[in-house]
Amino acid sequence: MTIVRRVVGGLAMPLGSVVFAFVVGGLIVAATGGNPFSAYAGLVCGGFGIGCTQGENPALQISNTIVFLTPLITTGVAVALPFRAGLFNIGAEGQLLAGSMACTAIGIKFSSLPTPILLPMVLLGGMVAGALWAGVAGVLKATVGAHEVVTTIMMNYIAQWLLRYLIIGGPLQLAAGTSKSLPIGPGARLATLLPSDNSLIVFGLPASVYRVHSGLFIAIVAAAVFAFLLWRTTLGYEIRAVGQSQRAARYAGVSVRRTIIVTMLIAGAFSGLAGAIQIAGVDHNLTDKYFSDTTGFDAIAVALLGLGSAVGIVLASLLFGALHAGGSVMQSDAGISSNLVLVLQALILFSIAANFLGAIRQLIPGLRRQAGAPPPETPAAALMTEAAAASEPGSQAT
Amino acid sequence: MSTTVASNALEMRGITKAFPGVVANNQVDFTVRAGEIHALVGENGAGKTTLMNVLYGLVHQDSGEILIDGKSVRISGPRDAIARGIGMVHQHFMLIPVFTVGENVMLGREPVTGPGFYDRAQARKEIAALTRKYGLSLDADARMGDLPVGLQQRAEIVKVLYRGANILILDEPTGVLTPQESKELFGVLRDLVKTGKTIIFISHKLREVLEISDRITVMRRGKVVGHLTTRDTNQEEIATMMVGREVLLRVDKKPAKAGAVAFKVEDLTANSDRGVPALKGVSFELRQGEILGIAGVEGNGQSELMEVLAGTRRATGGRVLLGDKDVTGFDARTERDAGIAFIPEDRRGTGLVLSFSVAENSILGREKAPTFSWHELVLRLIAIREWARKLVKEFDIRTPSIDTAVRNLSGGNQQKVIVAREMGSQPRVLLAAQPTRGVDIGAIEFIHQRIVAERDHGAAVLLVSAELDEIRSLSDRIAVIYEGRIVSIEPPETPEERLGLLMTGGGSATLPA
Repeated sequence: MTIVRRVVGGLAMPLGSVVFAFVVGGLIVAATGGNPFSAYAGLVCGGFGIGCTQGENPALQISNTIVFLTPLITTGVAVALPFRAGLFNIGAEGQLLAGSMACTAIGIKFSSLPTPILLPMVLLGGMVAGALWAGVAGVLKATVGAHEVVTTIMMNYIAQWLLRYLIIGGPLQLAAGTSKSLPIGPGARLATLLPSDNSLIVFGLPASVYRVHSGLFIAIVAAAVFAFLLWRTTLGYEIRAVGQSQRAARYAGVSVRRTIIVTMLIAGAFSGLAGAIQIAGVDHNLTDKYFSDTTGFDAIAVALLGLGSAVGIVLASLLFGALHAGGSVMQSDAGISSNLVLVLQALILFSIAANFLGAIRQLIPGLRRQAGAPPPETPAAALMTEAAAASEPGSQAT
Repeated sequence: MSTTVASNALEMRGITKAFPGVVANNQVDFTVRAGEIHALVGENGAGKTTLMNVLYGLVHQDSGEILIDGKSVRISGPRDAIARGIGMVHQHFMLIPVFTVGENVMLGREPVTGPGFYDRAQARKEIAALTRKYGLSLDADARMGDLPVGLQQRAEIVKVLYRGANILILDEPTGVLTPQESKELFGVLRDLVKTGKTIIFISHKLREVLEISDRITVMRRGKVVGHLTTRDTNQEEIATMMVGREVLLRVDKKPAKAGAVAFKVEDLTANSDRGVPALKGVSFELRQGEILGIAGVEGNGQSELMEVLAGTRRATGGRVLLGDKDVTGFDARTERDAGIAFIPEDRRGTGLVLSFSVAENSILGREKAPTFSWHELVLRLIAIREWARKLVKEFDIRTPSIDTAVRNLSGGNQQKVIVAREMGSQPRVLLAAQPTRGVDIGAIEFIHQRIVAERDHGAAVLLVSAELDEIRSLSDRIAVIYEGRIVSIEPPETPEERLGLLMTGGGSATLPA
């Protein structure tokens, strides 16, 4: 009984946030002269291939959703892990870019190497680059107490401008006048699940249009590694202890500084892996589309909506991936700008942050929490307060 | 309502308040006569705080009635409570240390001249009038942070009086006071009653309750289990009522068989969190099979001493020897591995990770021990759960399961988790800081027995406690600490007055052994 209640209670917050976002989003669509029902029908078709009316190929839509959700899982983990240590990693985007740049550079430099050597090299290279990118923030937090929110945001800018430098007039540029890099060698590419053979027809389309690649499995393994690390290892135990109470961790003999640095290194490796997978699995070169990439920021919403758990992150990634894939179908079918998807994402995040559900519960007399009783914290709110508490001046890493 | 006798300052009738999963107050009747000191006693979770929160308007009762001076009232918030003459002196002072006494007392009701200018002269005059009326001496211009705790508490009382309180609620008021300060407080309370004030005194120190109160209401598990007249009762009767069974108030222990020197501290110095010297050369020896109690007013270095010995604070000088081994610079983990167990004074912030389960907390600090992890990397969950189950059983920890977050346990059971963890590994040295603070009588009895049992098994026990009674009943020797120095080492029979004097820097030291 209590387990059922806990599960339901735990799901109420993320589901409530999603419902809230869709209701408000629907009101926005209606107020601006659109039909919210056809807008959402477009999203469902585009995201899950269900109920399509304009001849979209359901298999292709699902393939696109999977392509979008893959990097969200790994970056979601990269945000969720530091949350557990009381750290707010806003820098998943910069770490992802660092990973994609390292992956591309290695993939170009050693383009002649065969897959069994080069593919691990580019993926590991991406992880190391991401780890270093996040490690800077970790070291600064642990040594001089610089707040990780500020430093990771700054590291995002550095990564973004470094990317511009590299592919516009820099060493990785394809040719003068272009804003993309050389392609990585064939040995650095992740296999697509279907052979890129134009003569093979799958679900009525040539197999080469499906971009689903084996990075999906890497991402799912990464989520499993995250869960194992957190709950089954001494390091995960110590990370959680540091996140909950630095004083208790210190009392236990855990080095808070070391834990902060290690946590950021691991988180950065996850983000860097996401970047490397995007290059190796989807794009095969750096392009200007990475200038406006928001995966690492969406990852914050994914981590919060997923309540910081591995399964939650995978599910939240599925939702965000589907929204992303569905936006263009909504635009073409229902005539609603795909920017509505960004509005929905922002509303979800906003709703989690503001804990509307708790506020609504307070307003309905029957559901009102009893004053004096310990407030049942919603997990995400707890995650955020942990991060906030860790940033209080008194609790600096020493 | 016609039955109400006018001499009742306060009457709470049939107060019931339920929280999810627990009835905190169940048909509680609580009557306080005008001009008396009425003690409200009970274990943690008995419902004292809820009852007072109902009275102070912080919580609303589900049913029941409150009558003040015979008139039924509705109290919907602290503002209402204050307007009806109810004042609360909290256990943790609500004072601003950088403000003067006057500013603190006036805060929220400052006398002003013109548009928004604080009228210091008027404030001083009003405070002088108040303190004269109630015989409380207090300097309105002193900076609050500079005053000793006893005077800070007095300022709290003046603040409540300034707001027109007739019924004063004092929540565990002596918890932070020295014996002398407690005596002074009792004098103040008696004077206040003489001027017609009514006092509700919440405490778990039965000796004080017997000393100061006129009548006693005892609560247990949300219900009132007894109304007593103080002069007709004794500690044993109250304790039995509180716990629901007979309780051993005195610690039953055999004389110590002190063995070899286990722990030697030589001229130890260390700084406090604020960077000022807190230990100014502490030296003592601790033998196997003895309990050395450290008596002192809080803030005289005992917390820092324990932390240095446990490895969570750096020493600035001196040496600590465990047997023949110099363990001075050791960190917490190495100290623990060397056989030093530590029960920290701040259990909720330091000794436990509140959101962790009982099982997870049972290995805090030992998660990398070979028993609990594979090559210090992967947790051995089965072994951990077995260990936790064993501790729960052996130390009688009342928890629904070992997977319950310790946040949801009572204070006494939280403390038992720490005690079990630290004693479960058969330490050579046990550092116990305030091991029974905020813990129920039943659990206190249990923890005392376990500490003595550790001693009898040959452990060297260093005990720090703010409760002189605890120090005197457990210790085989008592070291008195004052301003970062051990000023004297006394036998356990030393009269309380002498210890109190030494603790405040008076008296002459006997044998600094």
